[in-house]
Amino acid sequence: MKLKLIACEVFYRELCAAIARSVNQVDLEFLPKGLHDIGKVGMLARLQEAVSRVDESKYAAILLGYGFCNYGLAGLRAGTIPLVIPRAHDCITLFLGSKERYLDYFNDHPGVYFQTSGWIERGKRLEEFSQLSITRKSGMDATYEELVEKYGEDNAKFLYAELCNHTRNYGQITFIEMGVEPGGQFEKQAQEAAAERGWKFEKVAGDLSLIQRLVDGRWDERDFLVVPAGWRVAVTYGDDLIKAEEVKA
Amino acid sequence: MPRYSQLYDAILKGDLKTAVSTTQEALAKGADPENLVAESMVPAMDEVGRRFEANEYFVPELMIAARAMKGALEILRPLLTQKGAKPTGRIVIGTVKGDLHDIGKNLVASMLEGGGFEVIDLGINVSPQQFVEAVKRTNAEMVGLSALLTTTMPSMRTIVQAFKDAGLRDRVKIMIGGAPITQEYANEIGADAFGENARTAVTLARQLMGVC
Repeated sequence: MKLKLIACEVFYRELCAAIARSVNQVDLEFLPKGLHDIGKVGMLARLQEAVSRVDESKYAAILLGYGFCNYGLAGLRAGTIPLVIPRAHDCITLFLGSKERYLDYFNDHPGVYFQTSGWIERGKRLEEFSQLSITRKSGMDATYEELVEKYGEDNAKFLYAELCNHTRNYGQITFIEMGVEPGGQFEKQAQEAAAERGWKFEKVAGDLSLIQRLVDGRWDERDFLVVPAGWRVAVTYGDDLIKAEEVKA
Repeated sequence: MPRYSQLYDAILKGDLKTAVSTTQEALAKGADPENLVAESMVPAMDEVGRRFEANEYFVPELMIAARAMKGALEILRPLLTQKGAKPTGRIVIGTVKGDLHDIGKNLVASMLEGGGFEVIDLGINVSPQQFVEAVKRTNAEMVGLSALLTTTMPSMRTIVQAFKDAGLRDRVKIMIGGAPITQEYANEIGADAFGENARTAVTLARQLMGVC
């Protein structure tokens, strides 16, 4: 089967590895990391545009290498071939292999910031997104100097501590090792980032199986949504996260 | 024009020092603390909310205005309690279990305080049981739930259920908000209201209390 995959570049190494081993021929297009930062409307528009660029006559389906990413996929429309989407809150589900494992870990470790090779090496200084991002629009990524200039020193101190320190309640970096990394360079960087902040560090083993099933075409209903041609993605607010919805004329 | 225009202006500008000093001066001159709240602070925070809605103010302006307002309120609170002044309503607020994000929740709490509400802030990572206990303890009429993540928002459904199980659901109004929250979700889990931002949270809280 010939498939098209549109994915976030945070999965670069994992998807390349999975596709290399896949029974299918998968053509891959990466979109820049950070779409979730521009809000659901902006993210959906970028994804829809990428879907509409695909020459659908060449493929059996379009795969999305994305999680639900804070509603970024809600409303995404299939053209003349199906869309296949993992049922995942965000990329961490795909790195850990299942949303159940993710939720179990998350519930035990609420203050965790996850890192993988893609999180470390991809998407730094995306000026285009940072201008559009929610954090920029709400003033959350202002520098201390910018705040002083605008609001005076007293308020700047307050705002810097209360608004700009997004991870002030976090206390741990968890590095997810996917088994595709060369040596320990990424783990070391994650460890250093934790030490810099005075946070705990933990390494957990990732699980490529969900990603592998995506590219291999093993789309059981429990873990994947297949959106029929002409239908679109909708929210369920349940454990299944997303459903297909017929587009009424 | 508000009666204590200096305090009103200081809140609008987010000038904590002036807000505090003008409050002290007004009290020294015999001002009634309830009047200070009703005629300066609440109108100032309403104007802040209006400017936010009109895109004249953004989150930082909202936060520094709320900070100035709180500085003045801290001075007035003991006096208000002494006089037995009644708040517009009492609301227990918190970020749900598993979620440690509190910028939005803090902002809503401040805006509600500025709107004349008594706010009992339970902080972050708050369990359903803690919400229920807090309502029992304080007799709050409202509960405000915040979540930033789609992984933690299901906890809101659990909290609504916990109030039903405790036999308190009819006694409290539940308002929810946060980045992934929608009106559709509020309907789905049986919450009473969804606040899209800190400004609408105050408007909705007033509506739920039947004061506007």
